[in-house]
Order: sequence, then C-alpha cells, then structure tokens
Amino acid sequence: MDLRTVSPWTTGYALLAAVLFLLGLAAHRPLLKRADRLLEAIDARIERIRGPRARSAAAAFLLLSPALAILGLFGVVPLAYAVRISLFDTRRDAFVGMGNYLRAWGDPEFWRSLTVTLYYALGTIPLALVTSFCIAWLLYRVVRGQGFLRTAYFLPYVTSAVAAATVWRVLLRPRSGFVNVMLDALGLPMQDWLLEQRGVLHILTQGWIPPGVGPSLALCCIMAFDVWHVSGFMIVIFLAALTAIPRELMEAAVLDGAGQLQVLRRVVLPLLSPTIFFLTVVSAIKSFQSFNSFYALTNTSRSVDTQNLVIYIFAQLYESQRYGYGAAVATLLCAAIVALTIAQWRYVGRRVHYE
Amino acid sequence: MAPLGRFFCIAALTAILAGCGMPARESGGRGSSPRAFKPIDDTAVLFWDRQTLETADLITQIANEYNARHQGLPVKVEHLGDYTDINRKLSVSIQARELPAMAVGYDSMTAEYVQAGAAVPLDEYMNDPEIGLTEADRADFFPGVLTTSTNTAFGGLTYSFPFTKSVLVMYFNKQLLKSAGIDAPPKTWNEFLKQCRHVKEKTGQFGYAVDVDCSTIDGMIYSRGGELVRGAESLFDQPASIAVFEFLETLAREKLAFQIQPGTFDDRDEFTQDRVAFFFRTSSLRPYVAAMMAQEPDGWGIAMIPQSNPHAPVTVLYGGNIGIFQSTPEQQRIAWGFIKYFTSAEVSVRWALGSGYLPLRKSAADHPEMQAFFNQWEYNRAAYDCLPYARPEPSIAGWQEVRTLVERAGSQVMSGLKTGGQAAMDLKQEANRVLAAAQ
Repeated sequence: MDLRTVSPWTTGYALLAAVLFLLGLAAHRPLLKRADRLLEAIDARIERIRGPRARSAAAAFLLLSPALAILGLFGVVPLAYAVRISLFDTRRDAFVGMGNYLRAWGDPEFWRSLTVTLYYALGTIPLALVTSFCIAWLLYRVVRGQGFLRTAYFLPYVTSAVAAATVWRVLLRPRSGFVNVMLDALGLPMQDWLLEQRGVLHILTQGWIPPGVGPSLALCCIMAFDVWHVSGFMIVIFLAALTAIPRELMEAAVLDGAGQLQVLRRVVLPLLSPTIFFLTVVSAIKSFQSFNSFYALTNTSRSVDTQNLVIYIFAQLYESQRYGYGAAVATLLCAAIVALTIAQWRYVGRRVHYE
Repeated sequence: MAPLGRFFCIAALTAILAGCGMPARESGGRGSSPRAFKPIDDTAVLFWDRQTLETADLITQIANEYNARHQGLPVKVEHLGDYTDINRKLSVSIQARELPAMAVGYDSMTAEYVQAGAAVPLDEYMNDPEIGLTEADRADFFPGVLTTSTNTAFGGLTYSFPFTKSVLVMYFNKQLLKSAGIDAPPKTWNEFLKQCRHVKEKTGQFGYAVDVDCSTIDGMIYSRGGELVRGAESLFDQPASIAVFEFLETLAREKLAFQIQPGTFDDRDEFTQDRVAFFFRTSSLRPYVAAMMAQEPDGWGIAMIPQSNPHAPVTVLYGGNIGIFQSTPEQQRIAWGFIKYFTSAEVSVRWALGSGYLPLRKSAADHPEMQAFFNQWEYNRAAYDCLPYARPEPSIAGWQEVRTLVERAGSQVMSGLKTGGQAAMDLKQEANRVLAAAQ
C-alpha cells in the first residue's frame, strides 16, 4: 500500500485506534506487573553499581535517556547536518571548508541583518518586560474583574501570530488602513508604516538625523506587534511570581514607613529577579529566532531594513538556493544564541536574588 | 586550554585551511552527468500549478479530461501557491532528489533547474514525429511566444513551454480621469506624469498605486527603449533604467503615487473604489477587476503601458511556462502529452475565456467564441493587441535573485531612502555580482 494515497480521515482513525490501543495496554494488569518487574530488575542492576555517585549518575542517565534520545534525534542530528552542509557549496556540490563562514564575514547584508536583529532585540525585550510588569502589577492590585482582565491580556498570546499579523497588516495599510484613517481624521500626516524604510529617528527629527540611522519605522511596527503579542505570556508569569511573594513582607515594609515605590523597588523587584532573569533569557533567545512576525508582516525579504538574520537565512535557502551559505549563517546564529545565553547566566545570573 | 577546546580549535583550523588553501572539490552539478532523481509520486504524473479559485478548478477539469483520453498514469494537479512558493518547493525537492513530473514557473527559475540537472529538454518531444508539434502547429503559435522558452545559455535547447501567458498592461479609471478633465489615457510617460498631477490637483486622489514588482519595472525600462542585460551583465546604469527610477522618485516626492504592501492587491482595491487613477498589472487580472467594477463597466479601461515612443511600443510578456522534470520516461511522455493537449487550439480558447490569460495560437484567437468575447466590451481585446509587442524578461541563471534586488531598489526610491540615479547605479553593481556568481 502506498501511504501517500491514504486519506487524512483514515490516518486520523488509525492514530485514534493506536492511542486507544496504548491506553488499553497501559491499563492491562499483567502487562503492568511485567513492567513493574522490569523496573525492579533495572533498579537491582543499578544497586549493584559500586559507589553512590556512579549509582546516582546511572539512574539519572536512565531517566534522562528518553528525552535525550528525542533531543538528539530532532535537535542535535539536524544541527550536526547543518554544520556539515555549511562546509559545502551545495550549488556545485563542492567542499569549501570554512569558505561560507568567511563569506558571511565579508557580506554587508549579513552584517545589516545582524544589526536589524540587534535593534529588534534591544527594542522588544526591555519594552516587553517593562510593559508586562506594569500591567501585571496593576492587575495584582486590582480586586474586581481580575480574571477577566487576565484573560483579556493573555488573549493576544494564544492568538496565532500569523493571523494576528495579517490583521495588523490590514490596519497598517498605507492609504486606507485604520491607523492612517485615524491619523488623517486627527489632521496628522499618514505614514507608510510597514513599507517605510527610513529610520524612525529621521522621521521624528524631521530629517535632522540621516534616514539610514537607527531602526526603520517598518521595523518599529514589527517590534510593536511582537511586544503586543508576547506581553500576555510575560504578564501571566509576572502575576504568578507576584502572587508567590509573601504579603507579610510588603506589609512589614509599609509598617516600617516605606512608600509604594520603595516597596516596589526594595521588596518586590529583588524577589522578582529570578522571574525577570528567566524572561530576559527566554526573550533574548526568542528575539534572535524571530521569524513569524517578520515574514507575516512584510511578506518578503525585499527590504533590508526589516530583514533579520532568520529572514536572511530563509532568503539564502529558499530564494537563492544557497544551502551551504544559509546553513553557515544558521550555525553562526546558533553559536551567537548559545554565547549570549552563557554570558547572561555568567554575568546577569549572579545578581539574581533567590529566596 | 581544555582538551575539548583544543580539539575544536584544531578542527576549525583544519577546516579553514582545507577551504581556503585548496580549490573547491566538485562532485557533480554543472557540466557533469545529471544527478539521479526520482518522482515524488510514482502512481500519478504530478503537476505543481499556481492557479487559485475558479482557474484552479478549470485546470483540474482540463487535466481530468486529458486523463480520460490517454492510457497510463493520470495527471494529478496540485495547487501550491504562487510561482515563488513553487520555486521554493522545487529547490527543496531538488536537494531531496525527488521531483514532480512537471511544474509551472518563470524562465529565470527554469534556468536554475537546468543548472541543477533537474529539468528535461523538451526538444526531443517537440520534434518527435508521432507526438511532437507539426509544422502547422509551430506556425499557429504567435511569433515569439514559442521561441521565448528556448534557452541560448543552455545550448539552444528548450526547457519550458509557454503555458499561461499574459502581458503587462495599464488599468485606468475613466471616472477619476473624467473628474480631472481628462478624456483619454496617456500614451507617453510624460503624459502619464501630467495626468497624475491633474488627478491630484483636481480630485485630491493619487495618480498611481505602485506595486513595486520587478516585471513592472522591467516593462517600464523596455517601454523607454532600454534593455536589462547583455550576456551576464546587467544594464541598470543605462539612461532608460535611470529614467525609470528617477520617474518613481518624482512620483513619490510629489505624492502622486504611493506604494502598496507587497503580495497584496491593494492597488486593485483602491482602483475599484475610485481612489487611484492608474495601476499596472498582468492582463490576467482583468476578470477580477471586471467583477469588482460590475456596477460601472464603463468606468474603467485597459491600455498598453505608456511609452517613450508610442509608434514602437514594448511591454512585458508575463505569465508562467511549464517545464518537465526528471522522473521516468513514461511520466515525462505523459507530461508532454498534457502540455500539448493544454496548448491545443480548442483548450486554449476555453482556458483564455475562463481565466483571462491570452490565447497563444492564432487559430484560438480567430475562434468564433474568442471573437465574440473580443467584441463584447471595447477593452476585451486590449491585452491581446499588446501581445505582438510583448517581450519576455531575461531567463539567465541568477535573474530570479536579481528580481528581488530590483524590487528592493524600487522600494528604496519610493521610500525616499535613495535617489533614482543612486538606486540604479547600486542596483547595477549588485545585479552584476549576483549574475557573475550564478554563471
């Protein structure tokens, strides 16, 4: 039977049957007993290992092995393959060693994409953190309608990024988009928003700063979208962390004469530092990997001012068919993310206050 | 240094030396024998197409008719998005060594498939005494249409066949022009600029909604007597090309035109709401505009794009060609049979009437149903009248990437980031670099 000719319904039924079968197996008593015996045997074998450290390591390895196998298959193997093809010119099937990496070093478009990525990271991470914290703090203090407000703020995050970006694209249309219609009604000049390649500083200073300096207005629109989209997630995390802070600590500070700002600065923020650190690390990684919003909002790699590294890799792979070069840039991006994360753990992680 | 760190350093150094010190070692590709490919589907002749909605249904219907007529594997049509989407999917398929039997695409894309050894030359099928084209068939195709797909860069072989062709035309809003006191659409670029100014002045609306598309810019260059390439050298520094970018700069600076978001039909939408006087697009958009302007059929029209010399007009021959890919001899033969059936006079008429694309054969254009359609509305034959003056865009390897650069340059000019002259000169350099690397 050719599996490609099987209809999706048949596939669905087959999967459902497989799941039910597995559940049945799980509930099957003799089988459970046999599984128990197997675990006991493994346990006994581990017990025979000499030395507590070795025993503990063996047990840990055994428990981690399923996750490691999945990570290895879907994470490490593709990465290793990407590194391998980054050493080739795939158009000519020729081995070029580090040639693709050296090419990236001398490619102005690579550096421009890196700059866009950095602008994006620097623009979105602090803004998203501050906005989310402020909203979470207000929600924490609101007594009535907290559930509704939490849901309302979380809603953008559960919305598909592509669907939401499509709506934003319509809102930001150059002529008849809602935002421009509102600006026009207020007597303000209409903007090209997602098509505007001039720097936002150039526009704000009315030409005093050259147009190529700083992030473009189009990039700022993408940043605004992502801040809006990701804030819901951050708000929920901040709220959970705020709820975990013992109220007595804040009340004690108030009794000692601390004002609201002092409570926030001296009590709340230090206790939230692990959460802030976690969100910063996760946001930094995500901002370097961002693709959906860039692609869905601009739909093209036409503008270098909205081409971050991932879009650049995509263009090299799927528009220019330079698989080797694209893999080299992807490897560099991966290395940059790892380096950034290590640096954050080393230099920022130290300042985190754990209770 | 830790042993692991030392190991990585040595490995990296070895790789650098291996890559920099030695010439690239080739193990196939250009110039060598074609790499082994196999069909994605061996139960059907897979055809990757770009049509949507009604035209997608029509093409599937035609494929089903063909399936009922021939023996062997059926042709299976898959609609996979636009030409770029199909190109992306094909490039991945080439890497995976699994291909469809045929697919549509621009000739600049075909050049890449030929380089990868994935495309099949059609000459063997076209010249076959049994299943090929007769002399009468060849003479029936409009001059130039058949030869546009013959690629001189690959030994004069034909790697794709004209399939769904259209031309770049100008859509003009009669209503808005009338409000600005204009009776007839512009024939020259100077007239076009003047009319845009009049429209702005009298109605407050924009003259032109710009879809910064490479084919449109190419058409503008052609219409000013310019060329795009000579061999593998781009000619964007020539006066015609500079004039086009300067023209866009003028339109943007005087706020006579605005840029639309890429991948949208905002120009058509603004046009049908009487908010813009002109836009340039493929003639195959006609049925969609007609449907949206159904309430005021006399409120708009179609014309040849403005020219520098209206006595020797030129526009762009748009639309996709179809190519056959390395699969099995049986699949390739059936694929050719389908192409021949689809481009036959009878099917050509049905396709042209149902889709808005142009009939490619004289016998199809002379068909009574086609003639009735031409006489139905005064602008129905406007695109067809442009066909003798339509020229294809370059099909050399690397042009597909140059298209992005052209659009980037146009967008930078419209944004005010570069002057027209500066954009043209920068484009020339970047395009030359890409073309040189691709040859």
